[in-house]
Amino acid sequence: MTGAAGGGPEHLAPTDVDTLGESLRQASAERRIVQVVGGGTRQGYGSPLPPDVVLHMSGFSGIEEWDPDDLTVTVGAGTPVAELESLLAGRSQTAVLPEVPGESTVGGVIASGVSSLRRARLLGTRERMLEVRLVTGDGRVIRGGGRVVKNVSGYDLPRLVVGAFGSLGVIYSVCLKLWPMPPAAATVIIEDLDAAGRVTRPLAFVDDDGVLKVFLWGTPEEVAASSARLGGVISEGHRWPADPQGRYRWSLRVPPALTGDAVKRLPDGWRHLAVHGAGDIRASSEDAGAAPGLRDWAEGVGGALVMVTGPSPGGDGFDPWGRPPPGLDIQRRLIAQFDPARVINPGRLPGGI
Amino acid sequence: MLSEDRVLEEPVELYLYSRDSSLMHGEATCVVFPHTTEEVTEVVRVAERHGVPIVARGAGTGLAAGAVPIDGGIVLSTTSMNQVDIDVANRTAWVGAGVINLDLSKEAEPYGLCFAPDPSSQSACTIGGNVANNSGGAHCLAEGATTSHVLGLEVVLAGGEVLVLGGQAPDMPGLDLKGLIVGSEGTLGVVTRALVRLLPIESDVRTLLLDFDRLSGATKTVSDTIAAGLVPAALEIMDQKMTTAVENWLGAGLPTDAAAILLAEVVGEEEAVEAEAALITRIGKENGARQVQVAKDEAERAILWKGRKSAFGAVAQVSPNYYLHDTVVPRSRLVETMEEIEEIAARYELDVYNVFHAGDGNLHPLMAFDASEPGMMERVHRAGEEMVAACLRRGGALSGEHGIGLEKRDMMRADFTELDLDAQARLKEAFDPEGIFNPAKVLPEGSRCFDFGGVRREIPDGAWL
Repeated sequence: MTGAAGGGPEHLAPTDVDTLGESLRQASAERRIVQVVGGGTRQGYGSPLPPDVVLHMSGFSGIEEWDPDDLTVTVGAGTPVAELESLLAGRSQTAVLPEVPGESTVGGVIASGVSSLRRARLLGTRERMLEVRLVTGDGRVIRGGGRVVKNVSGYDLPRLVVGAFGSLGVIYSVCLKLWPMPPAAATVIIEDLDAAGRVTRPLAFVDDDGVLKVFLWGTPEEVAASSARLGGVISEGHRWPADPQGRYRWSLRVPPALTGDAVKRLPDGWRHLAVHGAGDIRASSEDAGAAPGLRDWAEGVGGALVMVTGPSPGGDGFDPWGRPPPGLDIQRRLIAQFDPARVINPGRLPGGI
Repeated sequence: MLSEDRVLEEPVELYLYSRDSSLMHGEATCVVFPHTTEEVTEVVRVAERHGVPIVARGAGTGLAAGAVPIDGGIVLSTTSMNQVDIDVANRTAWVGAGVINLDLSKEAEPYGLCFAPDPSSQSACTIGGNVANNSGGAHCLAEGATTSHVLGLEVVLAGGEVLVLGGQAPDMPGLDLKGLIVGSEGTLGVVTRALVRLLPIESDVRTLLLDFDRLSGATKTVSDTIAAGLVPAALEIMDQKMTTAVENWLGAGLPTDAAAILLAEVVGEEEAVEAEAALITRIGKENGARQVQVAKDEAERAILWKGRKSAFGAVAQVSPNYYLHDTVVPRSRLVETMEEIEEIAARYELDVYNVFHAGDGNLHPLMAFDASEPGMMERVHRAGEEMVAACLRRGGALSGEHGIGLEKRDMMRADFTELDLDAQARLKEAFDPEGIFNPAKVLPEGSRCFDFGGVRREIPDGAWL
């Protein structure tokens, strides 16, 4: 499959590991830049270089292994998150991936490191990772981890690929830890922040553009008792809010106790979805004028303000990531071991990596 | 740089630090006790200057020989780095690597908080050791192992570079170096402090003991409980031999005529634990539970847990030596794996006792024996390797929570391809090109085309001053 002659990148959609490996080997040999695409929903991060090759992962889609008794599923990286979660829900299980995924794929969610709204209770995407299979920039097919819910066999490669934007290799298969879904679920809309403290560890507590929603699950007895204690407007089941959309999308990350403070500091006109207890605030805006001030505050409290997507790639003079993280040298050395020609998604990571 | 009282060089002292809780031993050139990160940096620089390895060590409770200085070198004890700094609002704490696991929870208790990972050795093992091994424990079924609780690390890398990785805010940009260092068994650098997540102490708890005529009744109860949407705080099974050994030692009133006992614990608000305990009781009875005891108070709960956490000590009462393996199988294959483990033990004429984290499929077959019997160690090792192989054949893992260390490094080839191991060795090389940090651990020799063989074992006199 080739792109239009003379203009635009070449499009490839391999369906087997050998072809994927060959594509990457060739790209490395010719130093051609590869952009990896799952559902195409998270292509705004960082300052990517223009690609010579666009690698579509839709050919690696579907369940490879799933025994509900083992609480694990092995799945192709190109599998849409919505498809996976809907299948798992049929047996009352969840992979605890983002609740409103749109077209996102499992591999895309992992590579960009985004997490579920249930993360304060069930933790983020890193905690789902049990095994990863990937092809390195120079075409080596490797595996890390194992297909059991607990293992410490060697270095934790499965965790390292989360948020690595493909820099260690193109993920084509993962084994995820699942969570069983209890029989009862309810959503309670509360009036003030303090009321949320009446339940010790709810499934999720989010601020959806000013509407405070507590998500509960458990035995019917537990859900009924917690709902009553919260004392708001109770509805059965969960209707999860989507991340706000706009010309700019942001990810504001702060220590958990500052989540409410962070929401108050959002500039006028910014929309938000804040995950209390996690310090994870997703926001959107039509302009970026107030972003530098907000970033200064966030970095001052040990957090970050990340531009998830903006009207022009690379942030148009405003660094999408902000202050460079510690250990850039070691990050470069690690990546050089996996993608020596640095052809997979270069420029996506902080520090121009 | 370190005063003389913080460097041990006497033969008897060196002997003690040449081993951990495994059956292996090495040879320590000297033992140092730094108090600060700066002092660790100095030790790393001395080691590099003289080409000697560094083996960081907490309490030495590891069972996979991860802290054994097999190639000689400096044993760096973290036990003097024991500051705890709790941030109640954010439910986190910066903890020195030498802080004892249980001491952290004790310090957090007045704030209604605790540290969730609880290895059986929690009254001795250190946070640094937990980080090195990504340690688990009975309560990591619902809350995850150590890596799920580490938000940040301060680490001294090759060249003496100090990095503070991660933090209280989630998803700090860039590669998750912290997550890679957790579980790396001290082979990438020396962890001096960890920023850990603390959890609120649950308001209520119910601990149940169910006993069964058949092991499959206990494992089916575990599967059905989780299938019903409940992830208890703990689900632990002991077989009849282990129950008998514990009962003979502690006299806790355990049913020694049962084929298996299941210890289940649920935590949360009162109405939740009531309903969950009732659900487990019902599922247990459907699967043939003869009796269901519910601990009436904290004292009864403590007795039930003491039985579980003293299991290995109990075997030490009946046999001069024991050897404990740590492997994992998919939970659906627990019963058949246990049957094969019994069969392997019988073939080698060994006694095997079982106590395990049933919710995770994490087995701990324990062979009891007398090492003075000729040829015994050979039999124990061969039986152990077959047991691990039986787990791998069923899609399991080499280790669930004890690590690879020296003990299992050569078995890594049974689980991973050459390319997989090469990738692992490249991770190590990116951090530690000279092979200074805990050499010969985790990866089998020859995983990568570089070798640690040239590292010297001696350091000249006066290097510490």
